[in-house]
Amino acid sequence: MSERRSFITQLQVAPLTLVLFLFFVVPVALVVIVSFFRYQMLVGLVPDFTFKNYYDLLTNPTTWALYLSTLKFTLMVLVITLVLGFWLSYFLVFHVRNLVVAIGLFLLCTIPFWTSNIIRMISWRPILGREGLVNQGLQEVGLIDKPLDWLLFSDFSVVITYVHLFTLFMMVPIFNSMARIDKALLEAAIDAGATRWGVIWNVVLPLSKTGIALGALFVVTLVMGDFAVVKVMSGGLSGSATSGMFNDLQFLNYPRAAANAVILLIIVMLIATGIFRLIDVRKELVR
Amino acid sequence: MNATIDDTNTAPNTAPNTAAKTAHASGSGEIRLVNLSMSFGATKAVNEVNLTIPHGSYCCMIGPSGCGKTTILRMVAGHETPTSGEVFIGDTMVVGQPPVNRGTAMMFQSYALFPHLSILDNVAFYLKMRSVAKDDRRRQARAMLERVQLDHLHDRMPAQLSGGQQQRVALARALITNPKVLLLDEPLSALDEFLRLQMRGELKGLQSELGITFLHVTHTQPEAIALADMVVVMDNGTIEQAGTARDIFDKPRTPYVARFMGAQNVLTGTVDNKSGTTVVLKTASGEALEVPGDRVNASVGEAVSVSIRRDLIAVHRAETGSTGDVNTIEGVVEATEYQGNFVKIGVIVKGVETFVANVSDQAYFAEPVIPGDKVRVSWNIDAVHVLAKVDAGNEGSPYGV
Repeated sequence: MSERRSFITQLQVAPLTLVLFLFFVVPVALVVIVSFFRYQMLVGLVPDFTFKNYYDLLTNPTTWALYLSTLKFTLMVLVITLVLGFWLSYFLVFHVRNLVVAIGLFLLCTIPFWTSNIIRMISWRPILGREGLVNQGLQEVGLIDKPLDWLLFSDFSVVITYVHLFTLFMMVPIFNSMARIDKALLEAAIDAGATRWGVIWNVVLPLSKTGIALGALFVVTLVMGDFAVVKVMSGGLSGSATSGMFNDLQFLNYPRAAANAVILLIIVMLIATGIFRLIDVRKELVR
Repeated sequence: MNATIDDTNTAPNTAPNTAAKTAHASGSGEIRLVNLSMSFGATKAVNEVNLTIPHGSYCCMIGPSGCGKTTILRMVAGHETPTSGEVFIGDTMVVGQPPVNRGTAMMFQSYALFPHLSILDNVAFYLKMRSVAKDDRRRQARAMLERVQLDHLHDRMPAQLSGGQQQRVALARALITNPKVLLLDEPLSALDEFLRLQMRGELKGLQSELGITFLHVTHTQPEAIALADMVVVMDNGTIEQAGTARDIFDKPRTPYVARFMGAQNVLTGTVDNKSGTTVVLKTASGEALEVPGDRVNASVGEAVSVSIRRDLIAVHRAETGSTGDVNTIEGVVEATEYQGNFVKIGVIVKGVETFVANVSDQAYFAEPVIPGDKVRVSWNIDAVHVLAKVDAGNEGSPYGV
């Protein structure tokens, strides 16, 4: 009887196990294996077990510069999306009293997602460009004489695009956490003499931690793994960790690209571990 | 923050380090509502309410859901701003003031304990907001937890506590503010029957010990009767009657109160004969009701409603006695319900809603009746209470219209 039941259980988890194995375990394993292969010009992959790829990468200052640049973008985007996501959610949950209006406004936030990432990214160019809306507007008002160069193809345009693309990923989990906060808790805090800031700091923020952790995880993985935004919006002036891999791939240097991918994977996993150390998401979710 | 400064400034006779603790200890906890109204859109949740709750009394507000009792509580607490009218606590008009300056503390229906804080920090929250040093506030909070016999659990999280324990924490969290007025929003509704009775006793004991005003919203009649020095019966945003529990129970002013408190039968008739010490009313179905003459002001031909307590009614089989007696009505038993020390008998009477008699178990088993039996219900003339308002239907009836 129990044998039969365990067989049924195994049958039930089999499809997901299979999918995860085929599309997650196998590719990652392949990348890890290839990262130890040798690269030979004109030949490409040569099976081997060498740490040369890692050595090359870690001793190359370009790698460090690219990773630092990626981390810098990640940090900036994390802070900005956190501030935006928190306050947008706060507004929707605690200020909009009408549930229908709140849901309507929430859906409004998702409208940009009806178009592809590429289009949303490209659409910043006519706005921020030398002859773009912002420059023309500022010139006509008379605030500036000549177009601002740093609007487009700069760190500024990269960050603004990231924020535009990823704020919702931060906002949704925070919104979800906040929506579950009993409104009576806020009143109880006010009853105990808390100011508006006191309520936010002592009640709303601690109870939104789960959402913040999940949102941060989304944003970190998205920014760390990005390649297109940096390339398009910086006009090639900035790079990301992923653009190093892209270069290697163009020269069919799969082993070094794979080694780079493993390094990136480890860094992202370290950051994720750090986030979950700070906030026990599983404990918070069952609360 | 401001409050701390204000308190130390305006209370020079108290030492600064205890100012926060004794800020509200002085001053009257009298609550006075003046023409208080609250509208949500087109609906008037509270309509021109005037009420004075004396300092140090235990006041229960009772009424069906949506009658405005909780809205009044929240306006006193400062979580709702009245559309018009005034709320006084002591001599201070408090509308527009934040809750913490009113000297009130509220105990929420769902307790509203902070789920991310230990119960010690829950209780200490008020002191934290007043920037009391950590050691000091934890010491005070532990003393308060000791008072509600939960000191041994001080590092637990609220979710790890039973409903009764959570309620004690909520109580401790409210009392640490040293309020003049404690506001309780259906505090016992989430507890099981046994705990409810236990907590009910404790609340009453606590109130007389502290001597502060308790304003307690409930929808349970026995709770209001058992606890309150003053019962306020509400309906549709207005006060139907405010008075002592005995008055409300024994001398309801209106048919609504008589029915809502659940212990009265309401009958209506027109004055037929007014001679000396008794007045005779004729009901629509022709029965004669005798009423003590000094209780009726209406003249001949006018309608009068009276109420008769369920437990002052005798039920006999129709064969015994004779028809045509005064204060006797014939009917058919609809249902009987054994309640231990009494038996509740529902009798269908022509022209009246279901008539209910609570007969002592001895009387019942001496002459048992079963559903379908023809019976005569009768009562003594002294049991008849004349209502100030003529009945306009089944208002307040637990059976609906």
